[in-house]
Amino acid sequence: MGVVREVDIDAPPEDVWDALVTEEGRERWLGEDAPPVEIERFEPHHRLVWQWEGGDGSVSTVDFRIVALPAGSRVIVTETAPALPLASLCAAFALVAA
Amino acid sequence: MSDQIGPVFAALADPTRRTMVQSLLRDGTTTVPTLTAALPISRQAVAKHLATLDGAGLIERAPGQGREVRYRLREGALAPAASWLTETQHEWDDRLARLKASVEAAARPSRTR
Repeated sequence: MGVVREVDIDAPPEDVWDALVTEEGRERWLGEDAPPVEIERFEPHHRLVWQWEGGDGSVSTVDFRIVALPAGSRVIVTETAPALPLASLCAAFALVAA
Repeated sequence: MSDQIGPVFAALADPTRRTMVQSLLRDGTTTVPTLTAALPISRQAVAKHLATLDGAGLIERAPGQGREVRYRLREGALAPAASWLTETQHEWDDRLARLKASVEAAARPSRTR
């Protein structure tokens, strides 16, 4: 767990997968200045996990799940920094963010 | 900023310490006896958790009233960790919007699959 966001895309999981795993695909939505990614887990068309380094030097894990929808795909992304046990913090920060 | 959020998140990883922080958010200040009465742990354990929160810069001693030591949240201590969460959420909202646009622009039309 961590920060969880999702988006529905009007394209099949195969297309989404290509945009995640290929450098060329990533460049189109992450931009050229994005940090390099180190792929940790690779389940074609379903799941991709990578690590990358944030601007402040902290390494975080990004976990993508791709779910096929009747007309497209849902992408669910979870970003967790290893040093930051975010799952347990949502309750604490719900109070602060309000 | 990373040297600040690491210890803060680590301190808040523990549910007892989160409960303490939440009661401080609610009540403003607290004491070892108050926490010991409210939590199913010993006075020594309460003191140890407070020391961890103090070490992470989350709490400080409130100016004293008599002998009783009162603790309060250090102003702004939670802010770096909270902004990490908020910024990361916004970044992913932006990135996913761009992912959607780029995949759909390049798409084989999914509706005709």
